[in-house]
This record gives sequence, structure tokens and C-alpha cells, in this order.
Amino acid sequence: MNIHRAFAITKRIFRGLRHDRRTVALMFLAPVVAMCVFGLAFSGDVEDVNVVVVNLDNATASVSQRIISNFDEEVLKVDYAASVEEGVRRVEDGDYYAVIIFPERFTESLLMKRSDPSYEGDTTIQVREDRSNVNVANAITKSVTDAILLTAKQAGQDLPMKVDAEDAIYGKGAKFMDFFVPGIMAFVVFMLTTLLTLISFVGERTTGNLERLQSTPLRESELVVGYAIAFSIIGMLQTVVLLVIGVAAFDIMIVGNIVLAFAVIALLAIVSLSLGILLSSLAKREAQAIQFFPLIVLPTFLLAGIFWPVEAIPQWLRPLSYLIPPSYAVDATRSVMLRGWGIGGIWVDIVALCSFAAAFLAVAILSLKRGRR
Amino acid sequence: MQSFAVEMRGLTKKFGSFTALDNLNLNIERGTIHGLLGPNGAGKTTAIKMLCGLLKPSGGEGFVLGKKVPDRGVLPEIGYMPQETALYLDLTVHGNMALYGELFGLSKSRIAEREKELLAFVALHKWKDSLVSNLSGGMKHRVSLACSMIHEPKLLFLDEPTVGVDPELRAAFWEYFDLLKKTGVTIVLTTHYMDEAQHCDRIALLRQGQLLAEGTPVDVVKSASATNLEEAFLALAKREDGRS
Repeated sequence: MNIHRAFAITKRIFRGLRHDRRTVALMFLAPVVAMCVFGLAFSGDVEDVNVVVVNLDNATASVSQRIISNFDEEVLKVDYAASVEEGVRRVEDGDYYAVIIFPERFTESLLMKRSDPSYEGDTTIQVREDRSNVNVANAITKSVTDAILLTAKQAGQDLPMKVDAEDAIYGKGAKFMDFFVPGIMAFVVFMLTTLLTLISFVGERTTGNLERLQSTPLRESELVVGYAIAFSIIGMLQTVVLLVIGVAAFDIMIVGNIVLAFAVIALLAIVSLSLGILLSSLAKREAQAIQFFPLIVLPTFLLAGIFWPVEAIPQWLRPLSYLIPPSYAVDATRSVMLRGWGIGGIWVDIVALCSFAAAFLAVAILSLKRGRR
Repeated sequence: MQSFAVEMRGLTKKFGSFTALDNLNLNIERGTIHGLLGPNGAGKTTAIKMLCGLLKPSGGEGFVLGKKVPDRGVLPEIGYMPQETALYLDLTVHGNMALYGELFGLSKSRIAEREKELLAFVALHKWKDSLVSNLSGGMKHRVSLACSMIHEPKLLFLDEPTVGVDPELRAAFWEYFDLLKKTGVTIVLTTHYMDEAQHCDRIALLRQGQLLAEGTPVDVVKSASATNLEEAFLALAKREDGRS
């Protein structure tokens, strides 16, 4: 291993980038756009949902009125209908997501039940939802439930039990973005590094450059190391950009040692570029390489724990998560940034990433040597 | 300097059931220009790739500068110009040359010197800082040739060095090859311009992986009782077909 020759390759990649503004833009703008678009889209709560209220409760100073006034105004936009039929019809027409029905003599039945628990009046608030959009429907149910609890509390009927989740052990006050940024960092570096090396190496092969390189004293291992140095630097720069914007625009939380997070990302970049080189030996042209894109992007997107935790994936699918290298990087960077863990906390992830890197690097070098059939 | 620069003893290359090069026996003396001639698919490129260590022989053996190929030990002493452009289009002419200079372990100042010499030779001095993607096909070809010589190799393998080069510059190329030869450099090149082969000290005519004839251009023409190489090639090919 002659490190000068590896550096020559690193230098060549950076020299090339100097004249390839489009790729540079892709490297640094794509992550930022991805972070902002995904971050904003996913962190948004459900708001301004049209619902119809049918209030059949005719008491004066009714409890139903109080509950309605306690609906979260940001979530529910309340309209009224005179009859259940009309309310249902409006939902059927698709203009409203739910009809909320307070039964006749609702207030009276409530009061009776308080003094006589065996009283048989109807105190059920019926929420008939359009569950074709599950997220919206769930938000409606939650909003109604919250309003009931709040109304009871105002009436001095608070539950004697309480949950307090304020004093978190890790991630106190964390928002969706805090959870999301470490994930998108790993995702972007994994995806772009794999794709760029894949395309770059298909190019090396088709243009004859690889053969010319192999006719010089350059070893395959030096070629791969040269690439590894370049792409881990690029990966870390991408991370810096994401973090700076994350802190400036989204005020994200960084509790732990950020250098450790960089190291994890660099390691992930090495895993990714080895994978890119490997895949490049399976593609004869750039057009074929592009067919690998969904293969790389989708499993990572869905299974690496970027948007939802591995626990939210069906049990039988989880083993797949552990076969995807970014899963470990997401877990490690999140632990470092939000939990403030040191190397002692994430060593399992580091070992996993190192193993992936070692295995992929070895196979990538072998695949290059196999070219000399 | 007793041994040959290149020796091929029964060198054979098969890709699956296809025989690209069939039992080639050929010696190339040091300090000569040797032409491998033949139509596409004759096995010229395959032979050169095996000698440069890019392909493994399926049979026979090849020796380059006394070492049996593939041998990494010969790589610093040989220069290879592939048939494809094999340049980084997103680098300048200088960027490409510097890369190969660095890979051969040349110092920065030495790279600058060699670059100057070689760019003067290929008449691309003014284009040093241009992106290769902006050059014409012929210009790229000249850069490619310059790249393969940056480290002053003792033995040059040039796969179609004069394709797409205009006649004037082609003449200059041959002058330069003669100059290199005088300094003791051996040049092995392929071409399918039969007229060009007159410049070679010796030529080998290849067809369908097999050697048709070998010798000085004059001898080869004589042996086929032809008036020029083109005729000679056609005559020899016919004779070969009649035999099989």
C-alpha cells in the first residue's frame, strides 16, 4: 500500500469536482432540500380538519357546548348540522372528515349518572369518521377525547391519575426535527455516496480509465482507499452543512460529542462507496447502474429507522433492518446527538459498521481484481 | 541487453469458447518499433492487454522485459495507451497528466518538465489548462498518448495511437517514435493502416487470433509476392483459408 498513490486518486476526484458544479450541487443541495422537505412534511401535525357537529343535547348551559368549545381550534374546524342524517351526508359528500354526534339529553344523563351510576341514559359521543385517511381520523378522535378530559377537569372532575412525561432522561424537549436530522444525515450520505461511486466506477470501467490505471503501479486497494478518503471527506462536509442548517433553521439539539457523529458518518461513507464499487461491476453502462437506485434507496428509506423506529416495523421484517448498514449509523448518530452517548454507548454500532466496511472493501477490491481475468 | 523486450511463447487467450488469441509466438527486440497489424478482432488488443497484465493468459507465456506476465514489477517500466480515450473528461489536460505522473511516483517538478516536453510534442501546449471534455477527438487522442509516456517508459504499448490524428501530425508522431527508438525505447503498436506499417522495423500480421506472417515490412510483402502490405495481407489470408 503506497499512500501517495492513494492520495493521487483522492486528488483526482476533488480536481474533477472543481469542474463539475452540477455534481457538487447535488452533493450539497440535495441533502439540504431533503432535510427541509422531509423534515417539514413529516413534523407537521394534522390541522384544519373540517368536522360537523350534530348536537341533539338541548339542555341550557349544556356540557356538550363546553366540550365543543374545548376542541383544539387548530385541529378541528367545526361546522354544525341539525340532524344526524344531514351530518352523515356531508361526510359522505367528502367535504367533512367526521360527524360528531352528541345524543339527546346528554347533559341530563351525565348529571343523573353522577348521582346514580346505574342510570341508563345515553352519554356516548358518537364520532363517525371518514377513516379513508387514518392520520386525520386519529387526530379527530384524539381531539375529541382531549376535549372531554379538559372539560371534566374544568368541572372539577379531574381523574385522580396523571401522567407526567416532561422530565425526560434523554432528549428533553426534543422535537421531530431533533429525531430526524441524525437519520437524514445517514440517509443522505449513504445514498449519495453509493450512487456517486456507482456511477463514477461504471465510468472508470467504460471509458477505459480503469484499465489505464491498472497498467500503472497503482494497486486496486490503493484505488479504493483513494476513493474512500475522498468520499469520507465529502460525507463529513455534507454532515457539516446539514448540521449548520439544522441548528440555524430548526434549532436542533446536539447534546453529545459531534466529532464522534462525524466519525460514524465517515465510516458509513466507506461502507457506501464499497457497495457502490461492488454494484458497478454488475452494470455495464450508466443506464444499467441507474436501475440499482430503487434497490439502494427504498430499503434504506423504509427500514433503517430514519422516519420511524425499528420497533414500528413488523417483527418478521426487522432482521432486514439489521442487514442495512445505515441502520447502525442512524442509531449511533442519534444516540450521540440526542442522548449524548460516548463511544461506550455506541460501540456495537461502530463494530457493525466496521465489519460492513471491512467486508465490503475486501469484496470491492476483489471485484476490481477480477477484471484482470 | 541480450534478451528481448517482449517474448510470446504460445500465448493464448480464450473467452469462454471464443479464442481471441491462438498460440502466438513472437519476439520483439529491444529498441525497435514493432507493429501488430490486422483487422478488428484479430487479437491485437488482447495480446497487448495480456502483456500489460490486464488480462491473464489462458495458455502459453509472455515475457515483458524479462519478467513473466502478469508481473507488477514491470508496470513502472511500461507505458500503455488504451484504444479508448481513457481520460478523465472532468479534468484538465494538466490534471490528467499530473494524475499519471503521481501514480508513477514522479516529483512535482519532474511532472512539470515532462508535461512541457510531451505537450510540445503533441502540439497541445496551449490547451494545458483546458478541460479534456472540450477537446476534439484527435486532441484527446494526443493527450492520451502523452499520458502514457509521462514516466519515460522503456517499453510502450500503443493501441491504435494514430486513429483520428491528421496526416501532418501523424508524420510528426512517427518522427517522434523514431526519436524515442534512438534512445533505446521499444514501441509495440497496433494499427490497421497498412501504409503506416512501413515505418515499423518489423510487423506481425494477425487475423482471427492467429499469426499470418512476421518480419520486416519488405520481407512480408515479398513472402506474399505482393506489391504492398494490403495486398500481402489479403493474399496471406486467402492462402490461410485455403489451407484450413
